[in-house]
Amino acid sequence: MKRYRVAIVERSELIAEGIRAILEYSASISIIGRYDNLGDVEALVQSDSVDAIVMSSTLGHQLETSSLVGALPIVALQWCATEESLLRRFSSIVSIYNSGEEIIKAVCDACEQPQEHNYNDSHELSERERDVLILVARGMTNKEIAVELNISPHTVMSHRKNIVHKTGIRSVAGLTVYAVLNKLIDSEQL
Amino acid sequence: MNNIIKPSYFAMLSREMKLFELVEASPSLLSILTRLDIRLPFGDISIREMCQREHLDVELFITLCAMHVDTNYRPDTTKLKSDMLGGVIGYLRASHRYYAEHMLPHTSAHLERILAHCDELSSSVLRRFYDDYTHYIVKHFSEEENAIFTPIENHDCGAGRADCSLFDMPHADIDDRSNDIASLIFKNLPEGAPTSLRCAMLEHIYALRDDLRRHSNVEAYLLKPLVEKYINRK
Repeated sequence: MKRYRVAIVERSELIAEGIRAILEYSASISIIGRYDNLGDVEALVQSDSVDAIVMSSTLGHQLETSSLVGALPIVALQWCATEESLLRRFSSIVSIYNSGEEIIKAVCDACEQPQEHNYNDSHELSERERDVLILVARGMTNKEIAVELNISPHTVMSHRKNIVHKTGIRSVAGLTVYAVLNKLIDSEQL
Repeated sequence: MNNIIKPSYFAMLSREMKLFELVEASPSLLSILTRLDIRLPFGDISIREMCQREHLDVELFITLCAMHVDTNYRPDTTKLKSDMLGGVIGYLRASHRYYAEHMLPHTSAHLERILAHCDELSSSVLRRFYDDYTHYIVKHFSEEENAIFTPIENHDCGAGRADCSLFDMPHADIDDRSNDIASLIFKNLPEGAPTSLRCAMLEHIYALRDDLRRHSNVEAYLLKPLVEKYINRK
């Protein structure tokens, strides 16, 4: 039987030990430790395997800059009113008012969810993706880019999908700004 | 978001709850008071008393608060009264003004402080991108007001006059552009702009994006069903 390795990020000892006792009641979950900040777990993930994080919803602002988002499930532990904008950043939410059984189920379900990308995914654009991005920024259509680079329109679309995934920018106007800020094009090419 | 297990925020609200308690529990609701031009100080009065004083529908006010704090909350459309329609339009118009007069200029001022630290080309492309984004939002507000709000307020709402498809169209696009601006400022703006300025700008962008999402929910789950009820009644 698989045991999910779960880290707890919660500053209140009382709450952290309570959630630890509940989760350890399940044979499917093993708690690897309690931490005050998400950054402490980031270091751990690189050297050890972690299947999920249960984290105080009040620390949701730490998700803004964390590379763990999308790499593994992060379950919000909610014990006070929390802004929706913070809650939305988590994979799922459990309330301290839920039963132990519900909390265990939510954490196990989160561990089973496929994640968007692997932790070590490179976000560096390939040379070909940079070529496509430059032509997109210059206002060319997929068809024009395909002719210019001597590749199929389907391949252009595939590169564009990767560019959006890697840069996190969806609009053409946004990609143009990205190309300028990263000095891929200059003012004369705009 | 999956596996949401939490008590409904709406269920915790009541007419007799003190207005200050409401704001203390969810400070983000202060922006609703600003939008509705609710005069301070309001003393230790209840939600019901405040609505009476300000000529607001108390059920509508509670619904708007619930939708603002809990973006997963959906009002029960079978219980919506068609006489709420004027109040909802009033709120949405006030929100449009709030964005145009407060949030967008405030965010724009922050952006200018950041751009002062950038080279000329970077600042000009980013400014243009942000200006296009704000013009897009303001244009959408104006289209909604002309195509939907005004005909209804003029009791000129024959089926087809109030074009409900306008509610659905550009919100995803606005959301994408908000995320693009945040990503560019966070990850790509060259060194020079101080981190504190960037973070302040990001807070404004995220606050604007989240508020526009709530606004879009009010249109989709409150205004749209009320407009449909109104059209069917005519």
